[in-house]
Amino acid sequence: MEGESIYEVDSEDGVGADIISTVEFNHTGELLATGDKGGRVVIFQREPESKNEPYNQGEYNVYSTFQSHEPEFDYLKSLEIEEKINKIKWLPQQNAAHSLLSTNDKTIKLWKVTERDKRPEGYNLKDEEGKLKDLSTVTSLQVPVLKPMDLMVEVTPRRIFANGHTYHVNSISVNSDCETYMSADDLRINLWHLAITDRSFNIVDIKPANMEDLTEVITASEFHPHHCNLFVYSSSKGSLRLCDMRASALCDKHSKLFEEPEDPSNRSFFSEIISSVSDVKFSHSGRYMLTRDYLTVKVWDLNMETKPIETYQVHDYLRSKLCSLYENDCIFDKFECAWNGSDSVIMTGAYNNFFRMFDRNTKRDVTLEASRESSKPRAILKPRRVCVGGKRRKDDISVDSLDFTKKILHTAWHPTENIIAIAATNNLYIFQDKVNSEMH
Amino acid sequence: MEFRLEAHRIVSISLGKIYSARGQRGGLKLHKNLLVSLVLRSARRVYLGEPGGECALPPRPGPPPPPDCERLRRGCRPLASEAAARGRPECPAESPRKRSAAERDPAAGYPGKKPRREAEQPPPQEDMETGNVASLISIFGSGFSGLLGKERGAAEATEPGQVCCEQPVLRSLNPWSTAIVAF
Repeated sequence: MEGESIYEVDSEDGVGADIISTVEFNHTGELLATGDKGGRVVIFQREPESKNEPYNQGEYNVYSTFQSHEPEFDYLKSLEIEEKINKIKWLPQQNAAHSLLSTNDKTIKLWKVTERDKRPEGYNLKDEEGKLKDLSTVTSLQVPVLKPMDLMVEVTPRRIFANGHTYHVNSISVNSDCETYMSADDLRINLWHLAITDRSFNIVDIKPANMEDLTEVITASEFHPHHCNLFVYSSSKGSLRLCDMRASALCDKHSKLFEEPEDPSNRSFFSEIISSVSDVKFSHSGRYMLTRDYLTVKVWDLNMETKPIETYQVHDYLRSKLCSLYENDCIFDKFECAWNGSDSVIMTGAYNNFFRMFDRNTKRDVTLEASRESSKPRAILKPRRVCVGGKRRKDDISVDSLDFTKKILHTAWHPTENIIAIAATNNLYIFQDKVNSEMH
Repeated sequence: MEFRLEAHRIVSISLGKIYSARGQRGGLKLHKNLLVSLVLRSARRVYLGEPGGECALPPRPGPPPPPDCERLRRGCRPLASEAAARGRPECPAESPRKRSAAERDPAAGYPGKKPRREAEQPPPQEDMETGNVASLISIFGSGFSGLLGKERGAAEATEPGQVCCEQPVLRSLNPWSTAIVAF
């Protein structure tokens, strides 16, 4: 993998406002959107490859920046609503404009991204600055013509889907029908129509009658990429539920329950926490699901509910350190996971700005680091290794010197090419694989 | 024994997290607080030596854990409701609970203080922590009314209306559950 671009989102106001909280490519990979803790969205666009500037082939540059959400205050509950962008999802492009959904804890917004590269000139009644002309000076009529201008990208809010959630929204997913989408919070999932903001249908509700009976929450959800009636949601207990919207209006009863029995030899005080699924993603084929829990990524076959077909250890060396990780809150970190375009490689983040890739076919895996030192443009990324005692090679990092404040929670893979976007705190790294490199 | 010490430490860390969660920007995180309460429940069981407490520990060589383990972990109510649910045995294995000496008689001395006399002296800060946590645990065991009596003044002083409970009656009975019910 080659290091290519590093973008640091700088902000004068407050530390932490520019921590990237979500990363998402659009369906062609031409655009890449990031959301941050300060409620801003930055969209990057890939430069078309040109023969004139061979070194700028396919680089991503800033296309547009806008403030998506602002902090709000719920006066009834005396609670502040954070402006942090939890998720961004692109809609499939249907005309010249691009559309995306962005959400914070409570409100989902639909944004339309349009380009303007021409403007009309030669009005009869107003001058260049828009001021009305003195009619006595107008002696002839002219037809205004469109003249080229510097490209201007305009982002406008088209819909605001508010008041749909009592609890914190953790996921949104656009349906393959391109008309509806769902939003999930800790206890409920709502189905919305993209054109209707004053109404939503509740399709999953796991809130117990008595909140004291609460034992699990919804952690992530996604629509099936091809079947518009199917969706999956994951729980804090480590289970996945596949639901069919044709079965009933309220999908509390799952069609399939995917759950792996716990390994009794790994039991500890923290077994429940580390089995909580932090992310679930369907494969592009729709045949598999990928889940991430604290220590592993798992591939599930939709046809087999009893256990995952593949399990990969992300950082098993942390298993003996769970108590410390509980103390410093790291055990609650929610890592995301991603498929590559052909569903042959899966990727997820870890600590010390490391991220891991697993090749499902060769069973090889690699650990790479997103850092300024190793990511100069066109530098090749060097595989890293964490040593857990025993023989230590040069350049190995010991478990105790891992930096747990440098965590890669959000990663995204281009839909078709080997380009990945890695969010490391407030830096965005984009890596491209110019030649097919081998996994180690 | 070391499990009890670790359990004790985990209980105190968990209680600290529940307390500090109340001042968080953006409101209480339901998911995180639920996980913390589950850890608190497991650690409390081990600390108080209750049946079912072994379920939270890795298996030791010897007799297998009681068959209720799986049911306890998957189906049981979280810690917050145990006292309130005492009249309704959702988890039959817990009804005939053996109370430790400290629970039956809180005045008999805080369980945390015993190991300290035997082992080397921990630093003074840990003493304070041990004493506070042990007293909270024994109050747990004797019902939430005990906690309410001690803590009510402090709790109300630090909560200037930020926590909004669905059921005000519930709040007075069960302060610990407000971490979850505060929506």
